[in-house]
Amino acid sequence: SLAMKLPALLLALAHLHGVLGLWPLPRSLQTGSSALKLASNFDIHVNIAHAPSDLGSAIARTKSFLKNDKLGRLVVGRGTLDSNVVQRAGSLRTLELSLAPGSPVRSITDEARLPIGTRSEEYALHIPADGFTATLTANSTLGLLRGLTTFEQLWYEASGQVYTMETPVSISDSPAYPFRGFMLDTSRNFFPVSDIQRTLDAMSWVKMSQFHWHVTDSQSFPLEVPGFTELASKGAYASSMVYSPQDVQDIVAYAGARGIDVMIEIDTPGHTAIISAAHPEHIACAEASPWTTFANEPPPGQLRLASPATTNFTADLLASVARMFPSSLMSTGGDELNTECYVQDPETQADLKASGRTLEQALDVFTRTTHAAIRAEGKTPAVWEEMVLEHNVTLGNDTVVMVWISSANAAAVAAKNFRIVHGPSDFFYLDCGAGEWVGDDVANSWCDPFKTWQKSYTFDPQANISASQAHLVLGGEQLLWTEQSGPENLDSIVWPRAASSTEVFWSGPGGNSTTALPRLHDLAFRMRQRGVKAIPLQPLWCALREGQCNINS
Amino acid sequence: MKLLALAVLLATAYSPASALWPQPQSLQTGSSTLRLAPGFQITVAGRGVPGDLLAAAGRTKQYLTSDKLGRLVVGRGADDAHTFAAAKTLSRLTLSLEKGASFASITNEAQKAPEERDEAYHLVVPADGSGASITANSTLGLFRGLATFGQLWYEHDNTVYTISAPVTIADKPAYPYRGFMLDTARNYFPVSDIKRTLDAMSWVKINQFHWHVVDSQSFPLEIPGFTDLADKGAYSSSQTYSLADVRDIVSYAGARGIDVMVEIDTPGHTAVIAQAHPDFVACAEATPWASFANEPPAGQLRFVNATVTSYIADLFTAAAKIFPSTLFSTGGDELNTNCYAVDTPTQAALNASGSTLEEALNVFTQKTHQALEAKGKTPVVWEEMVLVHNVTLSKDTPVLVWISSDNVKAVAEAGHKLIHAASDYFYLDCGGGGWVGDFPSGNSWCDPFKTWQRSYSFDPVANLTDAESKLVLGGQHLLWTEQSGPQNLDPVVWPRAASSAELFWTGPGGNISAALPRIHDLAYRFRQRGVNAIALQPEWCALRAGACDIDA
Repeated sequence: SLAMKLPALLLALAHLHGVLGLWPLPRSLQTGSSALKLASNFDIHVNIAHAPSDLGSAIARTKSFLKNDKLGRLVVGRGTLDSNVVQRAGSLRTLELSLAPGSPVRSITDEARLPIGTRSEEYALHIPADGFTATLTANSTLGLLRGLTTFEQLWYEASGQVYTMETPVSISDSPAYPFRGFMLDTSRNFFPVSDIQRTLDAMSWVKMSQFHWHVTDSQSFPLEVPGFTELASKGAYASSMVYSPQDVQDIVAYAGARGIDVMIEIDTPGHTAIISAAHPEHIACAEASPWTTFANEPPPGQLRLASPATTNFTADLLASVARMFPSSLMSTGGDELNTECYVQDPETQADLKASGRTLEQALDVFTRTTHAAIRAEGKTPAVWEEMVLEHNVTLGNDTVVMVWISSANAAAVAAKNFRIVHGPSDFFYLDCGAGEWVGDDVANSWCDPFKTWQKSYTFDPQANISASQAHLVLGGEQLLWTEQSGPENLDSIVWPRAASSTEVFWSGPGGNSTTALPRLHDLAFRMRQRGVKAIPLQPLWCALREGQCNINS
Repeated sequence: MKLLALAVLLATAYSPASALWPQPQSLQTGSSTLRLAPGFQITVAGRGVPGDLLAAAGRTKQYLTSDKLGRLVVGRGADDAHTFAAAKTLSRLTLSLEKGASFASITNEAQKAPEERDEAYHLVVPADGSGASITANSTLGLFRGLATFGQLWYEHDNTVYTISAPVTIADKPAYPYRGFMLDTARNYFPVSDIKRTLDAMSWVKINQFHWHVVDSQSFPLEIPGFTDLADKGAYSSSQTYSLADVRDIVSYAGARGIDVMVEIDTPGHTAVIAQAHPDFVACAEATPWASFANEPPAGQLRFVNATVTSYIADLFTAAAKIFPSTLFSTGGDELNTNCYAVDTPTQAALNASGSTLEEALNVFTQKTHQALEAKGKTPVVWEEMVLVHNVTLSKDTPVLVWISSDNVKAVAEAGHKLIHAASDYFYLDCGGGGWVGDFPSGNSWCDPFKTWQRSYSFDPVANLTDAESKLVLGGQHLLWTEQSGPQNLDPVVWPRAASSAELFWTGPGGNISAALPRIHDLAYRFRQRGVNAIALQPEWCALRAGACDIDA
């Protein structure tokens, strides 16, 4: 009886295989069931006068992916069974890009750097089944880029033909949240520019809009800041492990052309031990022991925030960094401040005594001074949650607050009327679950267990947030702290997991992880074809047989 | 003032002058700088030197110039430079066999039965510039000495040097079986990935590659006479191991002192055989899979059927011919009895023969093992064949303990030789979350992640009597590849799998705090050689031995 049941089952499953491999899922999507192949002379036309050059480059990349992805459909046989249908199918010769009447013609880069919440990323994409011209329209070049990204994900290759099985396709799409980010820590371990650029490429393929660059920390200072070059020359791991101003320009331009804004973070006043390598006068408890008394991880060391000289130094440093980055956002950090470090620091105690301030009052002055410095450069500050939930500092109403300790803290931040970026460790920390890294210790990671893509995917950005505060949620990001990462495992630890939150924040929450799995497989396989080492989520047997490796299948 | 004193203390107390992995059994080092002469040579004394030993010496020489590894201290060795001018230079390393020993290839020595391999060696590197030497009873021992020699050297400003001369080492392994297992059935790995892994294994003196080559998901192995299995069961025609690939892998391994134990897992884990031989497999792709297997797809050999038994015996015979090892694993894990309870042909065959399922399993196991023994192989099985089933096994049959380290004692009490492969210490895939679909809250069944420290703390003879302890052949890390592929092979495996390599070479009881700087050194050297070993800590910690310990 089993033997009889099986063919029927296989037939039923075969019908499920039509799902498009789009990631993130468009917010409105209609597809048909006709095959359509790309004509050998397929081209992309731009109906825009004075089209910006980064749009031209984006089109060239799309054309290259169409040719080079060579992705077989994720079904048994990898699409070889499609060839008869594809032979008879119509051919698509042209995709036409145009802006809606009256739209400004600006570069993708400029559009991507507009203040968060004012960017236009929506687009409409139509692909007829009969081979007539496909169209992509948007209100901005950034929207056109998002549409190109979707277009690229529609196509498979078999027997030398590039084709889709589901025309006509009609998509109308826009993001649920404007901040869809990824954070990389380049201080615990260093990453060459090429790794960052490859990561930016992968981010753009899933329509991420924000690269949060945690560039420095207590362990190393790889950023060469004009006027403050001693910080990198004495604080980088090596002279070859530095981001020069030219590197920064390259990264920022590379990101911009891919629709990504770069929010730099100079974490202050904690997480700054390394500044003591160049300026011991500015750092309390530098490399003090036992480190567990003075910091959450070695080495300890924090800016002497009560010192006017240190405050001015930091304000000038932040202003100089601000001038290197065109984004309207800049993070000043503010997490994990250790008060014992200051209690035991004679200089800080003397400064407090001289000014008659408490440590919290001094922190308020420090924060206001440094924030004023970056505001003078046109930046809106972003801070970690402690600056709102643990400290008594005056922050501008427009300050962006990044929730990291726990998703449970988002509601408290919203209650204080601050804008929120979700980055909670219990959903979005990519480093969790790989064991304790501190020496002479056999333990699990502090944020165990490993956060699977399914876990991130179930995140609700509005949980416990009232309707009147809903608008405060800008979006969220997955984060890679790199105590146990380097170029060796960057791709494999980030992809495809980090794509999980980008769908939550583009398509909106509530997605079904069961129907998402085949699409995420598709994305991971496509990423590999493009040179990003996204890991297998399942045996290939499962990836080619949608649904058959589900828990109840 | 306190801090400065502390920094000096750390530098002298913890900075490893030499960072050998695995740590030799006996090691004396000095504190002299010795430079490698520009024309440094490795020569082998005697006549009839096997080609794979010469090739190994050539690789070692190559590493000496291409490793370019800076010492893991602040400045990466810049502070050593002032000692270079006065340092002596080493011009020659001579390899020689002990008196009475005769040359055989590394490959032949490595492919002997585990207990018969001779891996001992002596290494002397004088501080005065006179020649260094490695002596051993076998070319395999000389090869182990070369691996050690290759780890002694650092580079700064184009000078290759050590600061620990003279060096005197007398070394041999605590256990004869030090392995690594790779599953190439859940996801496929190209030959180049396997070769790179073999290289890395040889650098830490691992001597056994346990190749779990096929499973229910795919059958990538082309076996002469049975090529229909790969034709229909490989993921694609480009995802197979041809006979030439197998020969390539086996000889690559052999030249690196590694024996290849292939595993054809039976009678479970065989769903894919149904592609070519549907009549041989019960409950093939049956649903719900959870009733018939521990993971999808379900499918097990109809071992009650005499035709199937003969087929598998012949398959083993054919596979045995392409693998020169004395060891051959027949698997035997996770047999699902419900699959057979609902399988009409199996029930009919049991009725006809009047035997129970366990009795039939005994017949199947004996016949298939006899086929291997006829080819000179020693069968190896997973623990269930001893602890769960009632089958007659030769006491010589080594048993792989995987479910739990708690089961070691019972296997030893049954009198079997054993190989440690416990999921609670050595499974490299644990902690990556559940991979089964439609199960968002699922964590991996063997959570948490097994850190290198965890594996390192394993005691191979825990709860064993002295007599039982003698049954321990060694152990291995294992990579099951439901969530792995070429994309994360190196990062998942290295440097973690080196943890058991030291455990089973040097012996248990090592100190994780003292081991950390050495394993950092190993990981950095791996990267220089093109293996993507991951960072265990921020580089700040890697350059400051002990400074990131929990109580530092």
